[in-house]
Amino acid sequence: MCFALLKRSSIRHFTYFNLRNHRISSLSVIISSVCQSQTVEASFARSARHYFTSSSAVVTPKTLISVSSLAHHFSSLSSLESRKTSEGLSVDKILDQRWPILDESQSDWRSHAAAIALSIQVIKKRLKWPNLVLRAEHLSSEVTRSDIWENPDYAGKVSRDHGICMGKIKEVNGLEQELIEHVELLKLARDEGDSELELETMKALLRMRRNVKEKEIEALLSGEQDPCPCFIEVQAGAGGTESMDWAAMVMNMYKMWAQRRGFHTTVVDEMPGEIAGIKRATIKVDGDYAFGYAKAEVGVHRLVRISPFDSSKRRHTSFAAVAVIPILGDVSTHVVIKESDLRIERFRSGGAGGQSVNTTDSAVRIVHIPTGVTATCQNERSQHQNKAMAMQVLQSRLDQLEMARQAQLNSQLTQSLTDISWGNQIRTYVLHPYRMVKDLRTNYEVSDPDSVLEGDIDAFILSFLSASLDKKDNYLGNGTGSRPNFVPPLFLSCTGLGSMNQV
Amino acid sequence: MTLSVFRAIHTAVSPHSLIFRRSRASFCCSVNRPSSSSSAVSATPVSTVRIPLFLREATGTATISELHAWRKWAQTLVSSVGSKFEDADNGPGPELLCREIRWMLEDVVEANLDVVNRLSDETAFGKDGDVVRLRAGLDELYCLWEERIEKRRPFQYLVGCDHWRDLVVCVQEGVLIPRPETEMIVDMVEEVVSRDKRLAEGIWADLGTGSGALGIGIARILRNGGKVVATDISEVAISVASFNVNRYGLQDKIELRQGSWFEPLEDVKGKLSGLVSNPPYIPSMNIAGLQAEVGQHEPRLALDGGKDGLDYLLHLCENSALALESGGFFAFETNGGSQSKFIADVMTNRSNFSFRDVKIVADLSGIQRFVTGFRQ
Repeated sequence: MCFALLKRSSIRHFTYFNLRNHRISSLSVIISSVCQSQTVEASFARSARHYFTSSSAVVTPKTLISVSSLAHHFSSLSSLESRKTSEGLSVDKILDQRWPILDESQSDWRSHAAAIALSIQVIKKRLKWPNLVLRAEHLSSEVTRSDIWENPDYAGKVSRDHGICMGKIKEVNGLEQELIEHVELLKLARDEGDSELELETMKALLRMRRNVKEKEIEALLSGEQDPCPCFIEVQAGAGGTESMDWAAMVMNMYKMWAQRRGFHTTVVDEMPGEIAGIKRATIKVDGDYAFGYAKAEVGVHRLVRISPFDSSKRRHTSFAAVAVIPILGDVSTHVVIKESDLRIERFRSGGAGGQSVNTTDSAVRIVHIPTGVTATCQNERSQHQNKAMAMQVLQSRLDQLEMARQAQLNSQLTQSLTDISWGNQIRTYVLHPYRMVKDLRTNYEVSDPDSVLEGDIDAFILSFLSASLDKKDNYLGNGTGSRPNFVPPLFLSCTGLGSMNQV
Repeated sequence: MTLSVFRAIHTAVSPHSLIFRRSRASFCCSVNRPSSSSSAVSATPVSTVRIPLFLREATGTATISELHAWRKWAQTLVSSVGSKFEDADNGPGPELLCREIRWMLEDVVEANLDVVNRLSDETAFGKDGDVVRLRAGLDELYCLWEERIEKRRPFQYLVGCDHWRDLVVCVQEGVLIPRPETEMIVDMVEEVVSRDKRLAEGIWADLGTGSGALGIGIARILRNGGKVVATDISEVAISVASFNVNRYGLQDKIELRQGSWFEPLEDVKGKLSGLVSNPPYIPSMNIAGLQAEVGQHEPRLALDGGKDGLDYLLHLCENSALALESGGFFAFETNGGSQSKFIADVMTNRSNFSFRDVKIVADLSGIQRFVTGFRQ
C-alpha cells in the first residue's frame, strides 16, 4: 500500500484500526504512521521511535497494545478537554451536525455517530463532568503533595479516589477518541472506496453504539455509595390490616425485584400484623449496585383498591413508607460506636428464661443511647447472629445519620434532602377503579400493576435516576456530585395519613 | 394408592378437612416411622447419633407447589393453635411457629434460599411444577410438623440441630437444647482470655456439656495449646457431643469424658485455667409446670437441680477451689435472682477466701443469670 497517497491524519487512523485488530505485519508501517501523526503528543512519538529503532524487538500484538495504551495514557493526562482530530472533528461537532438518529437496524453511519455522541454527552452530564474534572485536578495535586503519607488513612483514601476519578475521565476520553477515529476511518474508507474497511467500521460503530448505551446506565450509578449493598425498610401507614397488607405487598415487590436482578436478600427484622401483612420489616440486599438502584425507591408508596379486608367492599387508600440505607464497605468511613454507648437487650422475652424456656426466638434489640437510634433483628437463628445483624443495621443507620449531618453542615444536600414524611409520596398504585402505577416524581406510568408488584420496577428506577441526574440545574452539580435524593432512615411518626375510606 | 390419596388431601386442605388430615397423618407416622422417638424422651438411650436434617443426603424430591401446599397446611395448623400455647405455659406463639416452618424448609430443601423465599410468596408460585431435592420425604415433613403442634416436640429436635452463636449444634432427645442465654458464657470467657494470654493457652473444663456447645464455643477462642475437657454423665450426651466436636474438627482441642461432674477430672485437678458449667438448676417443684417443649421432651437429668435447684451448683462451688489453678476463671449459669445471689455469696464468703472478683452478670433479658470470678 502506498502511504504517500493518503492524507497524513488518515495514516494514523489506519494504523489505529490495525492496532485494534492485531493485523499489523510491518514494523515500518507503525513507525512511519506514529511519526507522522500530529495528534499524538510529540513526546510519545519520540519515545515510540526510540523504542522501535533502538531495539530489535519482535513486535507482537501484545506490545502494540501496550504502546497504544501508553498513547492513551499520555493524552488523557495532558489534556482533559474534548478530543479533536487534525481536521477539527470533535464529539461536539458531531452533535452540532444534528444528524437524525435512526433505529440501530438502519445501517447509517451518521445516525450511529450521532447516537454515540449523544450517549457520551449524557454520560458526561451524569458524571457531572466539570465537577469531575475539577475534583480530579484537586486530587492530583493532593496525591503529589510530599507530606501526604504522613497520614496513611487519608493518603489511601485520596489515592483511591484519585484513581476512581481518573478512571472515569479516561474512560470517557477514550470513548470520544474512539468515536472520532471510527468516523475518520469511515470517511477514509469511502474516499478510498475500500468497501471491506467501510463495512468493518460500520460494525465497530454499531458495537460502540450499544456499548455506550450500557455505559449510560452505568453512569447513573456513579455515586460513592451506589455499589454498596443496602437495607430496605418498609413500614405500614396507619389504618390497620389493610395498610399492613399493603406493606407486605411492597416488601414482596422488592424481594422479587432483587431476585430478578440476581441480588441476594435476607430478612433482618419483621413485625407481622395481627391478621395479615407486616407492620414493619427490614431486608438486607446483597449485590452489585444494590443501593444505587434501591435508593430510587425511597418515599411513600400509595395503594388504591377495594380492600379484601373490608366486608362492605369499599375503596381504600393505604400507604407504606420505604427507606433505603447503604451498608458502607469502607470500614474507615464508619462512625465509631462506643461499646459503653450501647444497651443490648433481648427483645420480647418473657418468663424465667434459661433452662426453663425453650424458644427459637432470640430477637435482639440494640439501643445507641446518645442518639436513641435502635436496631432489632429477630430472623436469625441464634442470638449471636441476631446481635451481629442488629449491630450491622445500627452501624448503617448511624453512618447514614452522620452522612446526612455532614451534608447539612456543608449545605451540599439541602436541596435534595427531603424528610421521609407521609406527605412525601413517590408512587401511586391504583387497582380500582382503573389499573395504573404512576411515579409522581417522573410521571412515568404503566397500566399493569401486577407486573410491577411482581418486581418489575427497573423502568421506574431508571427513569427516576435519569430524571434526577439529567435535570438541567444538576449539570453543574453540587460538590459531592454523587448523592441523589437519599433520606434518613429513621421512620418519623406516621400520624396524619394512613388508611382512609373513600366511600 | 394410600399415598396418592394422602397427597390429594394435602393439596386440598381446608380448615374443615383438618381433622381428617390429622388422623391420616398419625397413621402415616405409625406406619412409616415405627421408631418415632418423640414420645420416648430419653428412656431408650441411643448411642448412635441421629443425623440432623440439614446434614442428610437429599434423597427425596417434591415440586415447589407440593412444598407450598405443605407450608400452607402447616400454617393452617398454626392458626388453629393461635395463642393457645402462649396462654397455657408461655409456649410459642403463631409468629414464632411460622418462622419455624420457614427454617424447617431451609434445612430440608437442598437448594439456595431463593426457593424457600419463593415458597413464602402467596400468589405467584402456587402452580409451580419445578422439582427440588429434599433431605427428608414430604411425608416425613408432614409427620414432623404434626409432632410439633400435637406433641409440642421442640423444633430443634425436629430438625436435629440448634443454631447457637455462630455454630450449628446437633441435638436430639436425651440432650438439652443449648439456650441463647448460655451463649454469653463464651463472650465472658473471650473477654477473660483476651486479657490473660496464660489462660488462653491453658486447660478449660465444661462440666455437664450436653451437646458440647459450650465446650466447642470455648475451644474455638482458645489459642494454640489451649484445651477443653468436657464431661457429662449421660451416654447420649457424650455421643452427640462427640459428633459435634468432630463436625467442627476440634478432636485435638476437646477431650470428652463420661462421668459425674469432677470425677473424670482427677488428672487435671488444680491445673484448670477455667471452669464453666450450665448445670441443672430448676427447683424440682417447678419441673411439673414447665413449658411443654421443655418438661415433656428435654431430659430431666439436665434440668432438675433438686429441692432448691442448688444441688449441683453447690457441688460445683465446693470443688472449684481444688480444681482451678491460681488465677483460674469460673462462670456458672443459674436460675437467676436469689439463686445467683446465693451462689455468689457462697463463693465470696464461704470458701475460705479462695476466690476474688466474684460477680453476678445479667443476661440480655436483665435476669441475674451468671456467677463469675477468679481463683485467688
